[in-house]
Order: sequence, then C-alpha cells, then structure tokens
Amino acid sequence: MDPSLVTPGTLFFFLLASVVLISSVGVALAPNILYSAFSLLGTLAGIAGLYLYLGADFVGIVQLLIYVGGILVLILFAVLLTNKIGEVRLSNLSAGLSLGVPASVALFALLARVATSTQWPLTEEAAAPGTARLGDAFLREHLLPFELASLILLMALVGAMVIARRAAKEESRSVPEGTHDRLA
Amino acid sequence: MNRLPILFVLAAIPLWGATAAADPAKPHLVVTPTTLDFPIEGGPAQVVLENRGGIPLNIHAIRLVEGTDFSVATQARALAPGEKLPVTITYNKSKLRNQAFGGLQILTNDESYPVAPHQPNDHIAGVALRANSSCLLSLMVFIPLLGMLLVLLVPKGREDLVKWVALSIAAVPTVLAVYLYAKFDPNVSMQSGNYGLQFIQHSVWIPSFNVEFYFGVDGLSVSMLILTALVSLVAVGASWGITKQVRGYFAMFLLLEAGMMGVFCALDFFLFYIFWEVMLLPMYFLIGIWGGPRKEYAAIKFFLYTLAGSVLMLLVLIALYYNSAETTLVSGQPAAHTFDLMKLSYLNSRLFASPSLTLLGFDFAKICWIGLFIGFAIKIPMFPFHTWLPDAHVEAPTAISVILAGVLLKMGTYGILRINFGILPEATQWAGTAMAVFGTINILYGAFCAFAQKDLKKLVAYSSVSHMGYCLVGMAAFTQTGFNGAMMQMFNHGTITSMLFILVGVLYDRAHTREIDKFGGMATQMPKYAAFFGFAFMASLGLPGLSGFIGEALVFLGAFPVYRIITILAATGVIFTAAYHLWALQRIQLGKWNEIWTDKSIFPDLTLRETLTLVPMAAIVLLLGFYPMPMLTLINNGMNDLLQHVTGHAAAGALALVP
Amino acid sequence: MTLDNIASMKYFAPELILSIGILAILTVDLIVGKPDRKRSSLLAMSTLVLALLATLVTSDGVSRGLFGGLIARDPFTDFFKLLFIATTAFVGVAALRSRDTIEYQPGEYQDKESGEFYALTLTAAIGMMLMAAATDLLMAFLSLELVSILSYILAGFKRRDRKSSEASLKYVIYGGVASGVMLYGMSLLYGLAGSTSLSAIHAIKDPPLLTLIAAITLCFAGFGYKIASVPFHMWCPDVYEGAPTPVTAFLSVGPKAAGFALLIRFFHGAIPADVRSVPLILGLIAAATMTLGNLAAINQTNIKRLLAYSSIAHAGYILLGLVAGNDDGQRAILLYLVTYLFMNLGAFLVVMAMSDAGLGEELSEYRGLGKRAAFPALVMAICLFSLTGLPPFAGFFGKFYLFAALLSRGGTFNTALALIGILNSAVSLYYYARILRAMYFEKPTNEAPILEASLHRWNMGIMAAVTMGLWLAWTPLVDFAGASIVQWYPHATQVASLH
Repeated sequence: MDPSLVTPGTLFFFLLASVVLISSVGVALAPNILYSAFSLLGTLAGIAGLYLYLGADFVGIVQLLIYVGGILVLILFAVLLTNKIGEVRLSNLSAGLSLGVPASVALFALLARVATSTQWPLTEEAAAPGTARLGDAFLREHLLPFELASLILLMALVGAMVIARRAAKEESRSVPEGTHDRLA
Repeated sequence: MNRLPILFVLAAIPLWGATAAADPAKPHLVVTPTTLDFPIEGGPAQVVLENRGGIPLNIHAIRLVEGTDFSVATQARALAPGEKLPVTITYNKSKLRNQAFGGLQILTNDESYPVAPHQPNDHIAGVALRANSSCLLSLMVFIPLLGMLLVLLVPKGREDLVKWVALSIAAVPTVLAVYLYAKFDPNVSMQSGNYGLQFIQHSVWIPSFNVEFYFGVDGLSVSMLILTALVSLVAVGASWGITKQVRGYFAMFLLLEAGMMGVFCALDFFLFYIFWEVMLLPMYFLIGIWGGPRKEYAAIKFFLYTLAGSVLMLLVLIALYYNSAETTLVSGQPAAHTFDLMKLSYLNSRLFASPSLTLLGFDFAKICWIGLFIGFAIKIPMFPFHTWLPDAHVEAPTAISVILAGVLLKMGTYGILRINFGILPEATQWAGTAMAVFGTINILYGAFCAFAQKDLKKLVAYSSVSHMGYCLVGMAAFTQTGFNGAMMQMFNHGTITSMLFILVGVLYDRAHTREIDKFGGMATQMPKYAAFFGFAFMASLGLPGLSGFIGEALVFLGAFPVYRIITILAATGVIFTAAYHLWALQRIQLGKWNEIWTDKSIFPDLTLRETLTLVPMAAIVLLLGFYPMPMLTLINNGMNDLLQHVTGHAAAGALALVP
Repeated sequence: MTLDNIASMKYFAPELILSIGILAILTVDLIVGKPDRKRSSLLAMSTLVLALLATLVTSDGVSRGLFGGLIARDPFTDFFKLLFIATTAFVGVAALRSRDTIEYQPGEYQDKESGEFYALTLTAAIGMMLMAAATDLLMAFLSLELVSILSYILAGFKRRDRKSSEASLKYVIYGGVASGVMLYGMSLLYGLAGSTSLSAIHAIKDPPLLTLIAAITLCFAGFGYKIASVPFHMWCPDVYEGAPTPVTAFLSVGPKAAGFALLIRFFHGAIPADVRSVPLILGLIAAATMTLGNLAAINQTNIKRLLAYSSIAHAGYILLGLVAGNDDGQRAILLYLVTYLFMNLGAFLVVMAMSDAGLGEELSEYRGLGKRAAFPALVMAICLFSLTGLPPFAGFFGKFYLFAALLSRGGTFNTALALIGILNSAVSLYYYARILRAMYFEKPTNEAPILEASLHRWNMGIMAAVTMGLWLAWTPLVDFAGASIVQWYPHATQVASLH
C-alpha cells in the first residue's frame, strides 16, 4: 500500500466508512425491524461524519439534525407505536443467493477496479467551511434545482396526504371489501 | 370539454407548417409552377422564376435531368430582387413513346433549397415535367378504395344494396382492365424508353425518404392486372351468399382488391411494400371472421407466415435503398438513394452485384436475393413454406379462396420476376438451378399431397401448390419460352383455379361437406354442374385445347434445353396431376349415387348467378386454349426485356412462341 | 448562448405557467372546499393550453442554455414539450370520465381527490419537460426523481385496490434502487469531469475506458428504469396492470418519452465521441428488451399486462435509434415517439373506455367486442396494427425510420440487430392478433352492447384518426422532427463550480 495513504486523515476516513458500512449491513440483515432502525443511526451518523471530514460543515450538521435527529426518531416512533411491527420477526434475507452473491462480487470487483485504476483529477483546494458559499449557490447558480427540490417536496406532501387520508378513512369505515359503498 | 383535444391538434398544426419568413438579407427563389404538364402532341410551356428575397439571386445553371424529350433554351443569369425570369421548356414528342417524364433543376444560391451533391455552393430547386401523365392505374387502384367507403356508408339493414354497390364498384376496374387491354401497345419495349412502361403516373410522395408515387404497367404486370380485375368481379358474384356482417365483408373485400391492384401497379419499392402489407389486413379478417370452423388458426397462420416473409423484404428494401446510387427524383430534386424499382433494376443492379459489397458476411446480392425470395416464396407458396395454404384455403369462404388462389399466389411469382429478377439479375442466375429444383419439388409434392386429400377443397389447394411449381421452373429456365410459359401459367392458373374453387363452393353450399367420398354420381343430379366441373378439371390437368396446357407446355419447352433431368422429373408431375384430377372427378361425378343423401332435392343444379360467375372464366380458358396469341403478344415484349436484363444478352427472335 | 436566472424566465414560461396552474388547482379546491373534477380538469386544461401557447410563442429555433446552463431551451425541448402537453391533455381529458382514477358516484357527485390528481399530473408534465431539457446531471437527477415520485403516487391512486397499492410499492422499491445505482454512476462521471454539466463530461480528456463504461452503464440503470428496458423492466407489468388505466396510459407514453429525451441528451451530448463500446452495449440491451418484451407478452391474459410487455418491446425498438447514434437515428426516435403517443394511448383509451363501461381487463372479456362495441374495437384494431408496424398506419412509418437509420450505418452488428428487430415485430403480431381474434373472431359471452362515454369516443377517434392518417402529414412531421434533434453546442458554458 502506498505509504502516503496512511495518514491520520485517511485512517479517520476508513474508520467512518466502516461504521457506515457495518451499520448499513445491519439495517439490511437485522431480523428485527427495531434493530434495523437502530442500525440506521450508525449509517446516518457516519455519513454526517464523512461530510464533516470533507469540510462540508453545513451539510454535516444538517444531516445530523434532520436525519439523525428527525427522520430516525420518526422511524423509531413509527416502529414503536405500531403495535404489530415490533414483535413480528421479519427476516429480509433473500433466497436468490446463488445469483446474487456472484453478481455482487463481480460488481464489487468492477467498482474496485474502477476506483483504483482511474487517475481521478484532484482538486487543489483544501477543504474549508463554506456555508456562506452554499447559501449563495442556492440563490444564484443553483436556483433552479433548489426550487425544483421544493416542488418535489410539495408534491410528495400532497401525495402523502392523498395516500394517508385515504388509508385513515379506510380504517375508520371498515366496510366489507367489494360492497358498493354509497357513503364514500 | 369534448372538443379540447382537437384544439390542441389544431394548435400544433401551424407549428408544423411553419415556414421561415423571407429574410431580407437572403435571396429567395420562388418557382411557379413546380409541376409542368405538357399535352400529348408536344409544345412549349413556361416556368417563372422569381427572386422574392432582398439581395440578388445567382442562378448558376438551369438544366434538364432525365427528360430526353424535353429541351430548355433559357440561359441562366442573376436575378435582382423582385425580378422574374420566364423559362421556356419544349416537349418534342418522340415517335417511340407517348409519355415523357423529366425534371428541371435550377441551381441557385438560395439556401432554403437542398444542397446539390458535390457542389456545396449550389442549391437545387426542381420542377417536374410531365407529358401525357396517365391516371388509369390510379383509378383501378383507388376506385375500390372509394367503394369501400361507399359500402360503409350504406345504411344498416340494406344488405342487398351493399352487394349491388360492391358489384358495381368491382365492375369498374374490370371495365378499365378491358380498356387497358385495348389500349396497351404490345410493341412497346425497353427500346421505346420509359423502361418499356405504359400508363405511367409518376410523382413524389415522401421527399424526405425519396419515396415516389410511381405507377406503370408493362408486359410483366398487364396480364396480372387484368386477371385481378376479372377475378375480383367474379369473386363478388361468388360472395352473394354471404349473410353475416355483409357491409364489413364487402368493405374488406374492396380494400383487398385495392391492395392487390396496387401491388401490380406500384413501381416504387416502398409503395409496393405498402400495398403488399395493406392486402394482408383484409385477408386476415376475411378468413378470420367469415371462414370455416378453424378460421382463427388459419387466419393467424396466414398472417404470420406472410408477415414473416414481408419483414425480411422490408429489411432488404432498406438495405438496397442505402446501397443504391445517387439519382434524381421525378421532381428534379437530387436524391442520394432511390426506391424506384426501374432505377434499382436498370441503373443499380451492377452495383449491387459487386463482390466487394457484403451483408452479414455474405455477398450482398445473394443475401438480399434470398431475403426477398423467402418473402415471395411464402406467398407462392413454395415448399417448404407452403403449409399455411391448405389451412387458409380450407377455412376461407369460397370467394376468398378464389382471390387467394387466383391472385394472391401470383403476387409471389410476380414479385420474384419484378424484384428478384429485375434488381438482382446476377444473383438470380446464381440461384436459377435451385429455383428449378424447388419448382419441381413443388410440382411433385403438391401432386402427391393432392392425391392423399379427402377434402375436395384441400385437393384443389394442393393442386395450386403443384401448379405454381410450373411457374418456378419456367422462370428458372431463363429462356423466352420458359418466361412466357411461366407468365401464361400464372394467368391461366388464376382463371382455372377460380373456377375450381367456385365449383367446390357450389357443392359445399348444398351438401355442407367437401369430403370426396361422400359424393358419387353427382352428374346425374346436376348435369350443368358436372359439365363445368369436368371442364375445369380438364383445364386444370392440362388437357390440350384448354388454356392450362399452353402454360405447362411452354414451361417444359423452355426449360428442357436448360435443365434436362429436372424438366423430365417435373414433367412426370403432369401424369400425377392428371391422375388425381381424374380420380376425384370420377369419385364425385360418376358412379352410383351415394346413398347417404336420401333427399336429392338438396342438390339443385347451378343457379343463374353461379353460372354467371363460371362462364367468363370458362370462356377465357377455352379461348386461350385454342388461341393463346392475345395473351402472348401482350406479355412477350415485357418478358423479352426481362430476359435480356437477366441474361445480359439479346434473346434470339422477337416472338419466340414455339421453338 | 447561456442566459442568467432572470433572463431565463422568459424561456421558462411554459413550466412557470404549469406551476401556477398547479397551485391554482390546489388553492381553488382549498377555498371552495368541495372537490369537483370538472372544475379541476378545466383549470388543468386551460393551464395546458396556456403552456402550449407559451411554448409556441417563445420558441424561435435558437438553442439557449437557461439558468446558467443547467437546462436547455432548444428545438429539441420544444418538441418534447409539445409531446408532453399533448400526452397530459389527452390523459387529463380521459380521466374526466374515468371511474378508475377518481372516485365518481352519480348520486352524490363527489369527486374525491380530483384536484390532487390533476395537480399531480401537471407536475409530472413539468418534470418530464425538465427531463427533456436537462443539460446537467443534477437537473437530470432531480427531474427524474420528480417524475418518479409522482409516478409512484399516481400508480397507487386507485381506491381500495390491493393491486394498485402493490404496484405503487413495487414501483417505489425498484425506482429507489435504480436511482441509487444511477447516482453512483453520476458520481463517477462527476469524479472524472469535476463538474456535473454534460458539456464538461463531454470534454473529459482521455477518459479511462473502463471507468467511463462503468459510469455509463450505471447511469443507464436510471434511464433504463424510466423507459422500462431490460434488465430494469420488472416493475413495468405489475405497475401497468395495477395502476388506474389513465395513469397506465400516461406512464406508458409520457415518462417513457421523457426517459428517451434524457437518453438522447446523455448519449448525444455527454458521452465523449471516442467511446466505441456504447453502441454495442445499447444494441445488446435493445435486442434483449424487445425479445423479452415480445416473448413475455405472448402468454398474457390481462390486456393491460399484455400492453405493458408490448411497451417494453417498443422501448427496445426505440433504443435502436440510439444504437444508430446519428442524426437520422435521433430523428427516427422523435418520429417514433409521436406515432407511439397516438397508437399506444389509443389502445389504452379503449381499455379505459371499456372498463368504465363495466368490462373487465381480462382478454376473455373482450370476446365479441367487435359486435358489442364496434367503434372502440375498431380503434383498438387500428392501434394494434399500428403497434405491429403494418402500413399504412403510423407505426409502420415510425418503425421504418428506425430500421432505416440503423441499416444506413451498415456493418454486421447493425444489420443483425435490425434483423432481430424486424423478426420481433413479426412475433409481436401474434399477441396483438390474440386481442383482434378475441374481439372479432370469437363469440361474445354476453351479447349486450357496450356504450362508451362520448368523451372517450372523441378521444379514441382522435387517436385512431391520427394513427391512420399520419402519413398524410408525414413530410411536415419529418421536417419538424429533423429540425428538433439535439444540437450539441460545446460553447454552452459550464455551471461555475462553487468558486
């Protein structure tokens, strides 16, 4: 291995990366959905660490606040409040191992080869905090994607409402399936 | 609310039609008119060029392309903005031909016109020149199409009216065919120009793909057109008994007729392909809706077989197009490639045969030849692609069997002659022996299969397979006699087999079975029927004096000097043909009355309508049997031109009827 | 020429108008309180008309980069804008009478969620327009996600239907995976180019072939998922079967066309010209897609599922235009998409009209339809013949241009591919003919005539008329499509990276 790679910085990177990887394996393979949800904590927090390591301070903090602080807690709430899910032992181990394993190994080999063989153009710029630049970009060069993202969120909200409102009504009504319901 | 979508469509149209407004900083050439029609006797006519742009228009040249009978005197010069230049073109009628088509090219610096090949600074505006353009063939093709709409417009519940409308519509192409026969000049040949064609109609259809609307008739197609018109009319008569969805039936029937006519008229490969496919749709429905017990199976089998063949044709069509040489359209515009069958045949065939040209690793010409041949062989149908035919025939209603055997099968051989022989003459010679061998297999295999049939209609169907084999053998001989024989056989088989299918239909209408063993001694009960039956069977087995003999005899005479052993083998087919025909005749018409039919009154003799559908065919069979010259003179020059093209040398003797 | 944010607004008018329309639909619903599908659809349709006018007015044949080069406004985007507006309009009008999408009860006239339905559909139109316009990976991804998310919601729109919910869920899962894979590919491209702009990617000097191919293939996962090409097609039959029929019709035309727009932009714009293996990969995918689609369609008994497999096969045919990789190929794709819009929408409209009239979606229910509902059966027959590629229907001309573009390139690979394609279209006849056979050759189990809504009749009539008569307007259409192909303009400045 290239000795220049063994620096405190890279060690830190590998540490973070392994946290992310191991905990995401946990998310995928944990037999209990509660464990899966908890494993997600490691993944999300590890990614926040990676952002910080790369100098993206704002994104890192936001990742922590929203994903770890918000979404993960929401997921946990959902899991804990839904009475059946916690107890059911769901195993999401897929049976397609004979095809899946060779495919994954081949894909990994390909991507590893891609990652190592390519002369990636490196930026000279040192990683530095850039929250102000980020805000600037949102209102200048990347105004359109910023607005588009808000449109996506709005519509996701409308969609979630459509689906959720309907589900709620279904439950409250409890009409036998197939009967024509005039009250709908 | 309902009309909103229409609004969108309408709103989109201006965008499609949007043309760039005249830019004041550019020259803008306007040519009026872009098509110039000359009277038959010749004379001058004018085209006006006008510069509507803001700066002077440089006209580099005004030249004629492909119009040997035209001349232009006006010199090219620059045009100031707003200036007009009248160009006079004169048509000098040639004694050899009474039609002329050409293009005028105006080379300018107006960039809105397409760039001239090899001259990036010149842009070409074209003017189509036409003298005595004919619309006879268009009428023959499109009147049935109009008739289809007319039939659909007949109010519900008027079934009898539908039939009469269909009959009168189908009569129009027949009358036009008689006119065509009368006006067709048998002396016209390649030497007369226009590639030996008559009644030409030629204009541009899809300029972006150099597709032309090109109709014309020569010795190759004239007899087929007449046959199509005649058989269609007779088939309408044979459809009189249809009671189910009458409007739909006759609409589909007339569409089919338009498609068939189009195939024989079209001289642009793309157009040919369109008609070829258009014909499939009505056939599918005609078999599938109005057919017998296994109609669904037969319809889809027919459709799939034919489509499989025609998609191969489509590929070859595109491949040929992209390998064809640069030429001009009839509008005078330059074209990088062409679909024009005549140009593909006479200007590009050497190009296609060049050994350096390959496709999928094989010789280009050979692989194209095979692709096209499979497409047509399915239609003939040639062994081993014939299996759809017995099914289709058995299940199809009588009139559709008549059309199928009388016209559709001929499209296969016509396609081979027109397209394989025309465009790929070298490959045709390469494949000659194979064709003769397959033809012989067809003759013998068809005859043997016919022997084994219990169903009379299947027997007749296999006899078609056998008879079409004669055409293949005659075509493969590459002699004038063989070619004439093949063409005669195509026409004669069309008339004879139509009679056979009508006769089978007559029997089926009465007995609701076609099983040969269920009949016997019919001649005593239906003497008129028996007479026609005997006549048609004798014609079909090739009795001298009836037309079936002429085709077969010419084929063997033409093929014998070339393929001795094959011809001898093929000729044994005549014996088997005679045998199964006579055997069937004997079992049905002669002998004792089959006692399973206790009630003889279900077998009345031929009605007037049935007789009327049989008489015209019988008359033609008899006439051509004794005196084949009317047909032979009609086709002779066309076949001679084709022969010269394929073999590359002049055939000895202009009218080599009997060697 | 690249415009800044303010100057771009003029050329962004169609999307802006649509956004305002969406908000208007939702707000009016909020104020009035009572959902009414007529009102919502009227609003949606007038928004579309305005967007159409805005497109026509601001379209001048000039290629512009908007918002600093994030998206383009060129004839190519205008072409697709018209296509998407037409698709959305036809589907929107059809949904007005569809019981499948919006709850409709004659007694009380409650149109549950009609406002949301039209708002979501219009947003999908914006998303598709942006997909066709994206000249930056960021925009490509965002617009693709927008369309995807809306598709998930719309696919699950059917009330009380397990199939619809299942479709939605499958769609989400496959979509999530495909997006993830595509993002990975995009990250590789970003790593090579140092920018997300397509022109920057185009300008990569001496790209390492393996990395580039890997990146392209991974990106194709996302695009291939949108156009439903093998091996990213698995969601398609389930979603098409489960989703409400108007949504299925929409998904089978709109997002597919948008996916092809993005593919064209990507392969004609971003990929450096010296990558030789791209036609090979695309060709193999195309061959697999059409073969699998056609073979799998043969045994389907549900008509929507059958049409789903047919639409997979059609994605394969259209990919041939990309394999050709030249202007002719591009033009052929555009032409094919136009013909496909009418013939495929026509077929689905018939299914829609019939299911609204109480007919099921199983093939056996279509027995004797030729007698029971003559006009819809006729429209179906026309559309099916056109899908098969028989002249003189529009589909033939579309297919002809595709195969011609491929064959004009010559070479054994292209010829073999064309042969596979053409044989496939012969195979496709077999299963299309199964519908025809059921409709025309078989006896109906129930002789009662079926009456379709007059709105559906109009809509179907338009589809059938265009499918049948497009050859009459073929030359102007070819010219229009030819003028609309992507022009790659290397002068488009890249988005400045974050200083």
